[in-house]
Amino acid sequence: MAQVTDLTLSSTQRGLWWGAIIGGFVVVLAVAALLTVLVVLVRTIDQRVVAVRDTLKAAAANTADTALIAQTAAGVEAVLAEGLEHHLFLGRVLGKVRS
Amino acid sequence: MVALSVIVIALLIAGLAFYLFVVGSQLNRIATNLEECAEIVRTVVEHAAVIEPGVEHINRTGGVVAGALPLLYGMAEGIVVGVTPAPAVPVERGPARPASGRRRSRLHDSVGYAPNGNSSNGAHRPRPQPESELPV
Repeated sequence: MAQVTDLTLSSTQRGLWWGAIIGGFVVVLAVAALLTVLVVLVRTIDQRVVAVRDTLKAAAANTADTALIAQTAAGVEAVLAEGLEHHLFLGRVLGKVRS
Repeated sequence: MVALSVIVIALLIAGLAFYLFVVGSQLNRIATNLEECAEIVRTVVEHAAVIEPGVEHINRTGGVVAGALPLLYGMAEGIVVGVTPAPAVPVERGPARPASGRRRSRLHDSVGYAPNGNSSNGAHRPRPQPESELPV
């Protein structure tokens, strides 16, 4: 004859079970609240990153013309060369005027 | 009671999965934006790399030009001074007078008047007699 196992819970076990269920539900709510906070913070980070990206795009647009600095330097160098030519010309003319 | 336990556990798992999906999508978007930011930063650094040598070159060349300009305009002033004719010394000029001298009036001559025995033109001036011819 098979032995029959009694699976009924005692009142103490039932109380503990209900406590676990309620505690688990509370934990679920706490986790949901904390994850909501986490999502909000991550959304803020996302917005700030978008703002940083836009600022960097503006900075990149502002510095896009820095390649002209090299051309400007070449132009100033040409001015210096022309000034040397003027110096030689004025030196010759001044020598003739004084002689 | 067992079913309620299963529901609570399933709810916990579902909540965690949902929030994990949301946070995962947000983090993916943030990662994409950060990658774009990094690319833009590299572009800005590339743009800024040419600023310093270019500006140093401009400053050096501009300094040489600025130092040479006084010499140039000093030479130009010397040329101008050399080719400009010297101004003549101003002559003190008197009032304009007729070349024929003082104008002679003939009114006294017409009436035979010779003041102080002299006519204006000397025509009626008595010739001075020497003392030997004077009557004694």
